Amino acid sequence: MSDRSLHSANAAPWKSLESLSGAVDYKESEFPEEGPMAENVVSRRGFMTIMSASMALTAAACRRPEQRLVPSVKSLQTAIPGMPLEYASVYTKCNVAYGALVKTREGRPIKVKGNDLHPINTGRTSAEMQASLLSLYDSDRLRRPRVRKGGGGTSYDNALLTIAEGIAEAHASGKKAVFVVGEHASPSYAALMQHISEAIPTITFVTMPSIAANNAAIANRAAIGIDAELVPDLSKAKVIVCVDADPLGADPLALYHTTKWSQRRKPVKANKSMSKMIVAEAQYSLTGGNCDERIKLHPSQVEPFLAVIEKEIAGSAALGSDVAALASAEVSKHAMETASALKGAVGESYVMAGRHLSPRAHAIALNINNSLGNVGAGSVVDPSMQIPFSGDKSVAISALTADLMADNVHMLAFCDANPEYNADRAFRTAMMKAPFRVAINLYEDETAEVCNVSIPGTHWLESWGDAVAFDGTLSMQQPMIAPMNDGVASVQDSLMRIALKVGERVSIGTLPFTAEQKYADFVKNRWYTMMSASVSNTDAAWRKTLQDGILIMPHMPAASLTFNGAAAAQLSTGQYTSGRVVAIAPSLSFYDGQYSNNSWLQELPDAVTKIVWDNAALMSPATAIAIGAAKNDDPKELALASQNVVTVSTEHGSVNLPVWVQVGMADDVVAISLGYGRTAGGAVSMNVGANGFALASGTNTTQYMPLKNISLVAGTKYRVATTQNHHTLDDGRGERPVAKWVSFHDVQTGHLESLEEEFPNTGKDGKFLIPISIVPDYEYKGHRWGMVIDMSACTGCSSCIIACQSENNIPVVGKDQVLIGREMHWIRLDRYYVGDMSNPISLNEPMLCQHCENAPCENVCPVAATTHSPEGLNEMTYNRCVGTRYCLNNCPYKVRRFNFLNFHDTEKSPLDLVFNPNVTNRMRGVMEKCTFCVQRLHEAKWHARDAGRERITDGEAVVACQEACPAGAIIFGDTNDASSRVAQLRNEDRGFKVLSELNVRPQITYLAKVRNS
Amino acid sequence: MTVDHEQQIRTNGHSYEEPVREILVMGHPTLHDVTSRIASIVESKLSIKYLLTLSVTLSMLGLGVAALGYTIMTGIGVWGLNNPVGWGWDITNFVFWIGIGHAGTLISAILYLFRQRWRTAINRSAEAMTLFAVACAMSMVLGHTGRQWLFYWLLPFPNQMQMWVNFRSPLMWDVFAVNTYGTVSLLFWFVGLVPDLATLRNYVRNSFARKIYSFFSLGWTGSHRHWHHYEIAYMILAGISTPLVLSVHSVVSMDFTVGILPGWHTTIFPPYFVAGAIFSGFAMVMTLLIIAREVLDLKQFITLKHLDNMNRIMLATGMMVGYAYAMEFFIAWYSANPWEMWIFQNRAFGDYAWAYWTMISCNVIAPQIFWFRKFRRNIPLMFVISIFINIGMWFERFTIIATSLHHDFLPSSWGYYTPTWVEVSIFIGTFGLFLSAFLLFAKFVPVIAIAEVKAILPGSQPSHKHEHGHAHAEVTGH
Repeated sequence: MSDRSLHSANAAPWKSLESLSGAVDYKESEFPEEGPMAENVVSRRGFMTIMSASMALTAAACRRPEQRLVPSVKSLQTAIPGMPLEYASVYTKCNVAYGALVKTREGRPIKVKGNDLHPINTGRTSAEMQASLLSLYDSDRLRRPRVRKGGGGTSYDNALLTIAEGIAEAHASGKKAVFVVGEHASPSYAALMQHISEAIPTITFVTMPSIAANNAAIANRAAIGIDAELVPDLSKAKVIVCVDADPLGADPLALYHTTKWSQRRKPVKANKSMSKMIVAEAQYSLTGGNCDERIKLHPSQVEPFLAVIEKEIAGSAALGSDVAALASAEVSKHAMETASALKGAVGESYVMAGRHLSPRAHAIALNINNSLGNVGAGSVVDPSMQIPFSGDKSVAISALTADLMADNVHMLAFCDANPEYNADRAFRTAMMKAPFRVAINLYEDETAEVCNVSIPGTHWLESWGDAVAFDGTLSMQQPMIAPMNDGVASVQDSLMRIALKVGERVSIGTLPFTAEQKYADFVKNRWYTMMSASVSNTDAAWRKTLQDGILIMPHMPAASLTFNGAAAAQLSTGQYTSGRVVAIAPSLSFYDGQYSNNSWLQELPDAVTKIVWDNAALMSPATAIAIGAAKNDDPKELALASQNVVTVSTEHGSVNLPVWVQVGMADDVVAISLGYGRTAGGAVSMNVGANGFALASGTNTTQYMPLKNISLVAGTKYRVATTQNHHTLDDGRGERPVAKWVSFHDVQTGHLESLEEEFPNTGKDGKFLIPISIVPDYEYKGHRWGMVIDMSACTGCSSCIIACQSENNIPVVGKDQVLIGREMHWIRLDRYYVGDMSNPISLNEPMLCQHCENAPCENVCPVAATTHSPEGLNEMTYNRCVGTRYCLNNCPYKVRRFNFLNFHDTEKSPLDLVFNPNVTNRMRGVMEKCTFCVQRLHEAKWHARDAGRERITDGEAVVACQEACPAGAIIFGDTNDASSRVAQLRNEDRGFKVLSELNVRPQITYLAKVRNS
Repeated sequence: MTVDHEQQIRTNGHSYEEPVREILVMGHPTLHDVTSRIASIVESKLSIKYLLTLSVTLSMLGLGVAALGYTIMTGIGVWGLNNPVGWGWDITNFVFWIGIGHAGTLISAILYLFRQRWRTAINRSAEAMTLFAVACAMSMVLGHTGRQWLFYWLLPFPNQMQMWVNFRSPLMWDVFAVNTYGTVSLLFWFVGLVPDLATLRNYVRNSFARKIYSFFSLGWTGSHRHWHHYEIAYMILAGISTPLVLSVHSVVSMDFTVGILPGWHTTIFPPYFVAGAIFSGFAMVMTLLIIAREVLDLKQFITLKHLDNMNRIMLATGMMVGYAYAMEFFIAWYSANPWEMWIFQNRAFGDYAWAYWTMISCNVIAPQIFWFRKFRRNIPLMFVISIFINIGMWFERFTIIATSLHHDFLPSSWGYYTPTWVEVSIFIGTFGLFLSAFLLFAKFVPVIAIAEVKAILPGSQPSHKHEHGHAHAEVTGH
């Protein structure tokens, strides 16, 4: 710097470093030298003043320098950061394949949806299918192999080597090496197993379902020569009779059945028709709750009921005249009425026998359907619709048990099978006879604990595979993410490597794969070979199969059937024990407990009982009184019965469970859900409920077992957690019901007065009255979001709850918090009973934020954290919420959910990867509720804007619950768009609004349930 | 002023006092007696009994602070609240404490304006109670939110978020009502204290204490000018306070009436809450006065006449709330609204029936005993009844809040609420705060308005019979 001192009074003012250094400032001449500038010298005091002031200003406005930071992005080649990618895959429930679409963000799956192109589930999903996503990230999963034999350790290679040596030993000693595999629908897996056992005859494969039900296949084999289960199309049936069957509830086909059944359950102005469903059952199933006429039967009368129908319809060709003779007079009367209903729908009806019923019962049902002309190509029962790999497995399993008992098995391996938990005592005893046991399961479960070697299995979202649906549609299972265990490959990969390693030790036949190849290559090669026969460009066809997720295989028309009555009449019948029986049923939330270490499913309320985090001994009021759990049938007293714990025992074993009084059940029946009472396999599922498999038989898990003993456990005071108050039967609200139903007759004749609103009004908006108001209505100029929910189609399957939970990062709170009443679900399924307490039907009312126009929550918030959007959304601004909870108190629907604690704190890594990055995770002290998936609305708008459109068209914005709903009962859209489905449906005759008399003006229209009775 | 003069006033006063009207100060004290009697409390040594009591109340306060701290650190989840019941003990306590405060304002302001001279013995402590009760109430509202550290978002102030508060929310009205109430009560109490603090300044021997009293007495000299301004200020503040007696609890009641919940959404609430507030406030004043009167030996100043009057007010306000209870049921039936009818049936016979009948027994039945003069002057009895009323009025708020919330419109969402130890501890803590503050007040501040009591000594008021005007100036000029 120059020697001019800034402090000198003579120093000239300077503007820049250039001027200071003597460089010529060309603008200098702008101001004359003698001007005021020259006088404006900076004095010492002045300088200090300016400096201190500017220092103070700098400190007050300390900002980061405005510079652009360029992050180093290591992005996926195919992915744009922030944009979701969806891949098609396939989810297999037992041996039923459902098309899946998996949404991934930055390489991690965050949502499982249905694949629209897949004909079985047509884009819909079940609760379990969606929740299986959480199990992918389960921190309790087995991470690395564990070897408890020889050198031990956790090396994958060593584990495989140990197994191969075990097989070699078996080979040497002339014994068997048996792989017990779980149910699947994969042709490639089946081919792989076949190849291996052909090359290495020492190895045999036995498929072992967790819930054994072979009787349908046995009956079909005898009667029509098909060793498989047939799948009916309920949308083609006008009259459906379910005899102790639960097609809409805990059935692997429930997702499919619900989509089909619901198609004929929605009478609208344009098409006032609907099916009629009659359910005869002993338990109170989800199907029973949704039926039109329900006949309550003691288990001993179930098959006689079916036989009487058969006698009425098939006459002399009846297979069950001996069984029909056992029916009581009253049951016969009901059966005859049912038969006449069936006769009125020849060719358009269906009788379904429960999976657990005897082979003869299944044959009888088939005979009825056949006699009514419901069987045949294109009919309700199309014989080509066979569930793959659904043949009778009981013979193979009993043969294995015998082999084990005879010490003929040296090595026993379990792949995705957990018999230590779910098999009967005979098999569990037998399996311990095998000297060398191996498990390849997702978790270190009960079976893995008793095995010498345990290898982690892989989740369906992280491994290759394929699955064929019962209609022949083939889908590829694509991995979305590298295995979340420590890099251990899939079960099939492990099998391939084991086989190759065995080949290094003993001489074997040829294997159709090499050491370099993976199972993915095996699957690909297999389908390439098959496709190349019919397609010219195999690469493109393969890519399209992966892209679409489906490959429709040429459909094989069914050969004409001959009904072999003589063989069918020889089939065994059930044991018709009178007296008390135990009914064992798959859990509505997680079937057999494979995914029971899944907190979403544990906290998903049972669709019938609304119990979470527990199973219970369900019984009728009279039975509860008879065993001393309740004093009388006062609802309060019956609710208190759940504090009792009972010991329930059958010939197979006994369990301790809390009592739960379930209205509508037959007396002398104790129903127990499977899937609980895990003793290994993850902290979430441990010690939740009791294991119902302990009571069950091995060959037919869900068959009725005679109750040996039931006794109260003295001195217990148990607390069962439910999300809905127990005594909602008699709520004293007869005059103003909140969930409405009408009869089909009323719909046909147009007598829907009970749905009409009645309050002071200023006219009508479509079907609905406009309440008087002192403030002018808000005018919605752009979109106006609304929803219609068809209660007639809703079965209560709860898929929407998990869809919402997954989409909106809703935390799980645990049993303790549910007991207090702090569950967080944004959408819940309110279940109300109608009818007599001894035999009611249920109304399912999905309840979520109604996005009221006159929202009572909005005006009471002191900090304006909940406000109304110009598009009619009731918005919740989490950042602004201070948590006064006033909005919650003032919400008449009680759909607001408060974060009482930091519920997300309990999620261990990698569980946090499951979150949807488009939705904020809420901290404690903040209110939350349904947003109508506002993040999806925005996304749809961005896409529309990119395409140069101002508005989004109907169907572009799909909310999560709507997307998942198997029944298509939820319709969302823009009610300002007259052509939208929602705008049309909201003016349907059946429409009503919940609590509209409060003048809150909800945006959700419910269509009343129709009961066709 | 000479002793002779005082003697003269006393004897004169005695002879002039109307026989029908009871005298308000017993034992014919001289003006000096009054000063020394009340000021000596400040000068006296801290007794063991006092310290023990204070340590108990401070422990209660400590428990409450710890429990509130635990709540703030962990979340409202440590309380028993749930999805249908978003408010429980927190808002019950808030309304309870706000109600307690009302007696103070009523006694200070309304009775002052109505020239009810008997109020002088109790107004100071009642006003102090108001302040402490408002502090307790504020601690409950500040503590009850989910994110307590953001409490200031409830205040309308310019901020970088460019967010304004929602003036449509009754909670917002509450913020204004309670803050106004707290501020005015504090000013009113303090202005009334100034002459007495000056008296103490002159009285105390400890130089530190003198400095403190000197600071707070704002240079009071007792000049006529001072008295003149003081009287005007006091009158204005009394005027400002008077509508607050009616408005604060009316606004608080709007937290409920503006809601659409059956059991909350009723127009009777504002007057009903005001009556209830006065009722509970008087009960609390009564409870404390009976104790203070014994412990601090103030029987001279707080006479049976005072207690009798207060019992009459409790009887009257108790009947008002009783009428409101009955009217709620009548309107529910008369409205033919099934939700309303159901909620009241549920209130009396549902899960919380025990709370409802506790309330009825304590608030409606118990005070009926005050129809009899004998019982109105029975100190142990009125002590018990005052406690009953405190309990009953707490349950009134609990009944309104919890029973209306736990079973509202949709039966699927019904629940039940039970408090946890944390909520109970916080409630105990508010009592700790209230009692500790009261104990400190009783020790360090004149519990009875010295100057005002002097004005009601027999003969101190101007009388048409004799030499009026003269005595007045003398008395107040001390």
